[in-house]
This record gives sequence, structure tokens and C-alpha cells, in this order.
Amino acid sequence: MNLLIVDSMTWTITILGWFIVFVALVFLIGVFITVPKLLNWGIKRSLRKKNKDAVKEISTDSLELSGETNAAIAMALHMFFNEMHDEESNVITIKQVKKRYSPWSSKVYSFNNVNFPR
Amino acid sequence: MKRIITLFGVFSVLFSLQFIGGGFEAFAAGTGAEETFMNHASNGLDTFWKFTGFYNLMSNPSNLIMIAVGLFFIFLAIKYDYEPLLLIPIGTGVILGNIPFAEGYQIGLYEKGSVLNYLYFGVQQGVYPPLIFLGIGAMTDFSSLISNPKLMILGAAAQVGIFATFLGASALGFTAQEAGAIGIIGGADGPTAIFLSSKLAPTLMGAIAIAAYSYMALVPVIQPPIMRLIIPKEERLIKMKPPRAVSKVEKIMFPIIGLLLTTFISPSALPLLGMLFFGNLLKESGVTERLADTARNSMINIVTILLGITVGASTQADYFLTTASLKIFGLGAVSFMVATAGGLFFARLMNLFLKGDNKINPLIGAAGVSAVPDSARVVQHEGLKNDPNNHLLMHAMAPNVSGVIGSAVAAGILLSFLL
Repeated sequence: MNLLIVDSMTWTITILGWFIVFVALVFLIGVFITVPKLLNWGIKRSLRKKNKDAVKEISTDSLELSGETNAAIAMALHMFFNEMHDEESNVITIKQVKKRYSPWSSKVYSFNNVNFPR
Repeated sequence: MKRIITLFGVFSVLFSLQFIGGGFEAFAAGTGAEETFMNHASNGLDTFWKFTGFYNLMSNPSNLIMIAVGLFFIFLAIKYDYEPLLLIPIGTGVILGNIPFAEGYQIGLYEKGSVLNYLYFGVQQGVYPPLIFLGIGAMTDFSSLISNPKLMILGAAAQVGIFATFLGASALGFTAQEAGAIGIIGGADGPTAIFLSSKLAPTLMGAIAIAAYSYMALVPVIQPPIMRLIIPKEERLIKMKPPRAVSKVEKIMFPIIGLLLTTFISPSALPLLGMLFFGNLLKESGVTERLADTARNSMINIVTILLGITVGASTQADYFLTTASLKIFGLGAVSFMVATAGGLFFARLMNLFLKGDNKINPLIGAAGVSAVPDSARVVQHEGLKNDPNNHLLMHAMAPNVSGVIGSAVAAGILLSFLL
């Protein structure tokens, strides 16, 4: 295999083709480095508009949540929604239960009247 | 009752014996057409014999070699779990395509009007690969790529395999179109290889597709030695910082921007890239879950079955067993190695310009070849071998999916240059 016998067109396609692939992906990299910055800028702007005094300085770090933070928030939400139930009055009423005699619940009838032989 | 059945059996045997021992002749003499009947019978048997695979095998015994190859593929898939979803349909297809038959009866894949030929239409006209890309888009999470876009460059670096093979194939005497189609094996992307070869060199498509899929299945065998050779031990231990969380807006914007940018740069790759990003938009938009679900499950499964079986069947021995196929297999192996080495070297080069915890583990460069997700899995495996606490899978997925984009762009470039 002698690469010198390859015509100039082949060399052109090889070099130019690889170069274009690089350029295309570098272009994409540039765009995707810029997009989060633009999004953060938009969020900061809208936050400043909403609350001029409270939000003086917003750092980019405070807008970016790490995976751990997201997991903690998701866990907290999950637990909160799982433990939710109907609203109650919170009044505890203690009712005295009167035990009236009834032969149905009489203890006497639940024992055999048989003593151990002496 | 038993006796009656036994008697009936004995009588029926005796009755049939009289035909065997001259009954036919008696029948033929009675009708006065002894010769005609015997001729018809022998002609019928002769025709039947000529229709059987055994007879046709004698005229083309090389089919047996291909049947053995098909069986080997099935063995690899079942025994070693090498890409079973691809190798079982392809292996069965290879057997199917190499059963010897009498030509001219619309049976074979290359015979117009046959069922297999209709199914093969999807391969010939490049219908199946974009549909596969749609499914891949609907099942791929690009968040690792969006969180660390600079890793995308590794996907471009690994495409050196495509262009180096293009050069090598040209030097070996293939035409420019054929060399382009062979070169795409270095992209390690089956659907892209089929798409490009169906446009540039349809006659070589079977060999190119089989080479591409075989080497993709062999990624766990081919890549690790090259990784160990190129990356020193201390660099293999580098721990990368965890990727940042990606917002939903970014995930939705990625396929839209990616589609617009890449297809404007390389419109010839529109069917592949368009479908890839469309599938991803279905997934990330969050409002078309049903469509995304169909694309990533039922549809991609159906197309994989059709693609595998027809690509396998296209390897009929008389078309496939040529010196050109051998050269293609050789070039394919070299291109895989060059692509892997290209990604690894570039990752090391990138590290020279990165500081502190921004440094990358150069092993992930090997995932720049687009064999998704096998090469990323190999990187994870190698990373764990060196440090059991170093999980590189998510980081490796970034160059891996950018490799898919890169190889599709490269295919588009080759198409626009060579078509």
C-alpha cells in the first residue's frame, strides 16, 4: 500500500472532511457553552426585575444546582407528598367506656368449673 | 380391538406391497402409457432434486462457508453475549441468504419480486438507517454532553478512523466512492455505514455492513489493549468532577439547535441527523411520551429485525466471498484501531491545556468511536479495573454520543464530495 500513489483529490477529501467534522463539533461546543450562560443571564434579569431590593447580587453558582442538591430536594418532596393525609381537627376526645355486665362477655363462662383432683 | 387394528395394518401393508413389486407397471400397462408415466415420474423426481439445496450446493459449495459464518455469529451472540440483538438476526440472515436455490423463481434476495428483495428495499434505498437513528435519538440522554460540551471534540477526533481508512482504501485500489463507503466503518456506526454504502457502493454494502457490525460487537476485545498501550497508568486514575445538572430548557434546546447547526453544515446527512434529533426532541419535550416510547421500543425493534435479517441475507457467497471483502475486513479492523487511538491521543492532548479538577480521564477518548453504548461501557470497565471507585460511564457517554453526531456529519461530507 503506497499512500503516495493516492491522487490529490483523495488527500483533499481526507483533510478537508476531517477538518469540517471538527469545525461542526467545535461550533456546537461554542453554542452549548453559550446557551447556559444566556439562560442564567435571563433568569438573573427576571429575578432582579421581580425583586429589586432583595436580590442585589446573584452569583451563577447559586443558580446552578448540583446533582446532590436535586436529589435532596426530590427526596424531601417525595417524603412530604407521601406523608400527606386528610386535615384533622387535632381535638382528642377520651370517652369513658363503661363495662356493663353481659353473659356474653362474662369471664365465668369462659372457664370450666373443673378443679384439679386433690 | 387390538387384533382388528393389527389385521387391518397387515392387510394394508400387503396391499401396498403389490404396487411396489410391479403394481405400477401393471397399472401403466393397463392404461397403455408405461413410458410416459415412468418419464413423468423420473422427470418430477429430477426436477424436485434440482430444486433442493443439496443439488444447488454442488454448483456453489462456497455457500457452506457462509453458513458456517452465520452459525458462528449466532454462537458468539449466545455464548459470549456479543451484541446479540444484532448478531442473531444477522447470523440467521447469513444462513438464510446462503441456502442454495434454483435461480429464476423469485426466491433470493437479489431476485426482483421476491419477498426478501422487498424487505431489502429498505436497506438499498437507505430507509432503515434513519428509522434506527430515530429510535436511538429517543433513547439517548444527551445531558452528559450538554453539561460538559468540550468532550464533544473527542467525538470529532475519533473520526480520524473514517478518513484514514478512506485514504487506505484508495491506496489499495478501490474507487473514491468505494473508499468512502469502506471508510465509514471507522465511524463504528452500523446504520451510518449501511446508509452511506447504499448510496456510494451498493455492491460492497453486504461486506461493509457485516464488517461494521462485527467490529462493533468486538469493541470489548479490540479497544482495551489499545487503551492500555496509549494511556499511562497514572492518567488512567484521573477522577473527573461530576457533571452539573442540566435544566429541562437546555435539554429541549439541544436537539433543536443541534438539528439546525449540523444539517446546515452537512445537509447530505439530513436523513440521519434529522431523525436522531427528532427522536431526542420527542423524548425531551415531555409531551410526546407515547411517540418517544414507540420510537425507542417497538419501532427500533422492528427495524432492527428487518435490517439485521436482510443485511445478513445480502451476503450470498457468490457476491460476498471475494478478495474485496477480505480487504474490507482488514481495513475495517485498522480503522477501528485508528479511531480508538485518535480519540485517546486527543484526550491526552486536551489534558495538556486543562488545569486542576477540569482534567479529563483520557480513557474516555476511546468512547469517541460511536459504537453506542458499548465503547462507553468498555471505558467504564477499564476505569474500574484501575480504580474500583472511578466511574467513568456518564463522562464517556458524552464523547460516545458526539461520535454518533460526528460520524453522521462525516458521512454527509463524504456523500457531498463523492456522490
